[in-house]
Amino acid sequence: MPYIAELEKAGVPTILIDLEDQHNMVQQEALVNGIPNVRFLPASRTLSGPEDIERIIEPVLEGLTNPLTDKEKESGRWEPPQDRILFEGTLDGAQAFYQQSKWIPLPVEAPISVYTDGFPIIVPTEERVKEMLTGTSHKPDELITYQHDTVSRGGMMGIRNKKGDVVLFQPLKRTATVEQVAVNAVMAGCRPEHFPVVLALSQSGCPISTTNFPSQMVCLSGPIVKEIQLNVGCGHLGPGSPVNGPIGRSYQIMAVNLSGAVTGVNRMGCHGNPLNNGGTCYGENVDGLPPGWKGLNEEFGFKKDESIVMVQQGGGGIQGSQFSPGGYRAFQKSGHGGLARRFDVKGVQGPHNWLRYIVPGLWAIREGGVTIIMVAEMAQHLVDIGFNSKDEVYEWIWKESFEPLGEYRKRSWPDFSRNGWMGIEKTSGKPWKELSDDYMVPVAGDDPDGNCIIVAGGQEEASAQFAGGRGTAYSIDAWR
Amino acid sequence: MAEDKVYKCLSPVGNEVPVDLFPLAPRLDSLDGKTININICGEPDITIALERKLKGDYPNVNWTTKKTYGINPVRLSEEELKTTDGMIMGVCW
Repeated sequence: MPYIAELEKAGVPTILIDLEDQHNMVQQEALVNGIPNVRFLPASRTLSGPEDIERIIEPVLEGLTNPLTDKEKESGRWEPPQDRILFEGTLDGAQAFYQQSKWIPLPVEAPISVYTDGFPIIVPTEERVKEMLTGTSHKPDELITYQHDTVSRGGMMGIRNKKGDVVLFQPLKRTATVEQVAVNAVMAGCRPEHFPVVLALSQSGCPISTTNFPSQMVCLSGPIVKEIQLNVGCGHLGPGSPVNGPIGRSYQIMAVNLSGAVTGVNRMGCHGNPLNNGGTCYGENVDGLPPGWKGLNEEFGFKKDESIVMVQQGGGGIQGSQFSPGGYRAFQKSGHGGLARRFDVKGVQGPHNWLRYIVPGLWAIREGGVTIIMVAEMAQHLVDIGFNSKDEVYEWIWKESFEPLGEYRKRSWPDFSRNGWMGIEKTSGKPWKELSDDYMVPVAGDDPDGNCIIVAGGQEEASAQFAGGRGTAYSIDAWR
Repeated sequence: MAEDKVYKCLSPVGNEVPVDLFPLAPRLDSLDGKTININICGEPDITIALERKLKGDYPNVNWTTKKTYGINPVRLSEEELKTTDGMIMGVCW
C-alpha cells in the first residue's frame, strides 16, 4: 500500500485487485498511508481466473478512467483524539468497559473483544500502572524505540532497524510510550519485575501474520529466567505459571491495543492459532545446557550474563511431540523397542541419535527452520554421540533436509517463498530455473542457523517441535 | 463503600500517527495510447488471465508488466515512472 499511495500522490492513477474479505484491511492500510479512498475491486476466491476476469475487467478499466467523485478529491488530516484516561468509574464498571466487544461480520460473524484477548483482564487503574512503571528506569512518556540495531527474522524477515528508531506497531504503524506498554502489561497480569521483558518484546512491534495459521511466541534466555522465576521445567508451555502466562499474554494484548490487530479485519489467520490464545512465553533452562552448548543469548551475540527475549513468528504452528518417552528410554538404555528396530541397533546400548526419528517428519509437508525444544537429558545424549555444540546440530539437521529440486518444486509454499522461481538458488548461486530436477536443495531454509534449539522441559524424555525457527532477539537489560 | 470508589483507568491503545490525507490522482480521459503498468503480485490464476485479456483485447494501450510472486510490488524505475500513465495492481497490494 505505501507504493500505491506514493503513486497516487505523484499523480499516477491506480486500481487495486484483492480478495473480497481483505476489503477492511485494504481500507485501513489506505487510511494510514494517506489515501483513504483508494479504488479497490474484489476478486473471487472460487471462480476460475478467466471467469473472474470476464466479471471484473470493465470495472478495472473504469477504475482508471471514471472521473473522481467529490469524496475521492478530498484532502485533509487524520488525527484521531488520543485520551490518556479511557474510563473513569468503579472497578466493576471498568471491568465491563474493558471487556466490551464488537460484532465482526464475515469472515468472523461473532463478537471480538475491543481491548483484550477475550479473557478477563486486570483493570489498568492509574495506581496499578504507576506501580508497573517501578519495574523500569525509563520515563513513562518515553517513546518505545529500538535499543540496538536489529534485523528481523520470521514474519518481518529482513527488516532492518537502527538503534533509536521509533518502533511502529504493526499493522497500523502506531507508536507507544513506556506508560502505554505498562497499561497493557497490567491488563495481562504482569508484575513490575516482568516489565523490562514486556518492554523488550514490545520492540518487535507485536506483528501478527495476516493469513493461514500464524503463531507468535516469546522465549527468554539469560539471568532473567531465574530472576523472575519463569517456568522452564515441566509444563513450561502449558498453564499454571504466574510468570510465563502473563508475559506471553502481554504480547497478544499489545497486538490488540498497540498494534491495532482485529480478528477478521486485519488479523486474517484463517484458523487463528492456539499458541496465541492467551499467548506463549517460554524460556531456556540454562542449567540443562550440556557443557559446550551456548545459551540462546550467546547465539545472538549477547553475553552469558545478559538477558534477552526472542520473539518468534511460527508460520506453521505446532508440529508436536512424536515418540513415547518409554520407547525413548528403551532405545537409549538397552537398544529395545521400535526406535531401535528402525535404526537397526537392537540390543545396542545408547546413546543413539534420536533426532533421526523426527527429522524425516520435520519437513514432510512444510519447509523452513524449526524450533526443537528438548529436555536436558536428550541434549546430553546428542553431546554424547559427538555434537559438541548447537551449531553442529544445526548443521546436521540442515544437511538432512536436502531433497531433489524436482520434489521441492512439488511443495506448496516455495512457489511463493521462492518468488515464482525467479531468483537465485543460494547453495548453487544459479537461477532456480537453470537447475535440474535432481539438484539437491535444503528444505530447512537457506542456512543452518534458521533452526533453533531450546533446552527446557521436565524430566520425561520428550521433545516438541514448532514449525518456524529462529526469531529476533531483543535486550531485556536495556529496559531495566 | 469500596465498590463505589471512582478510579481513573488508562488507555492501552497505541498512538495513531497523524496522517495527511491526499486526493486520488486525476483519472485518465481514455486508455488509448496510454502506458499502463500491470503490477502483478501473486494469485497467478487471476493475474495470468488478466494480463492475457488486457493485452489481447486492448491493443491500443501500451501495456507494461512488473511481476512478483510475493506481496511487495516491484517498483517502477524512475525512467519507467515518467512514462507510465496508470497502474493496475493485484492480487494484493
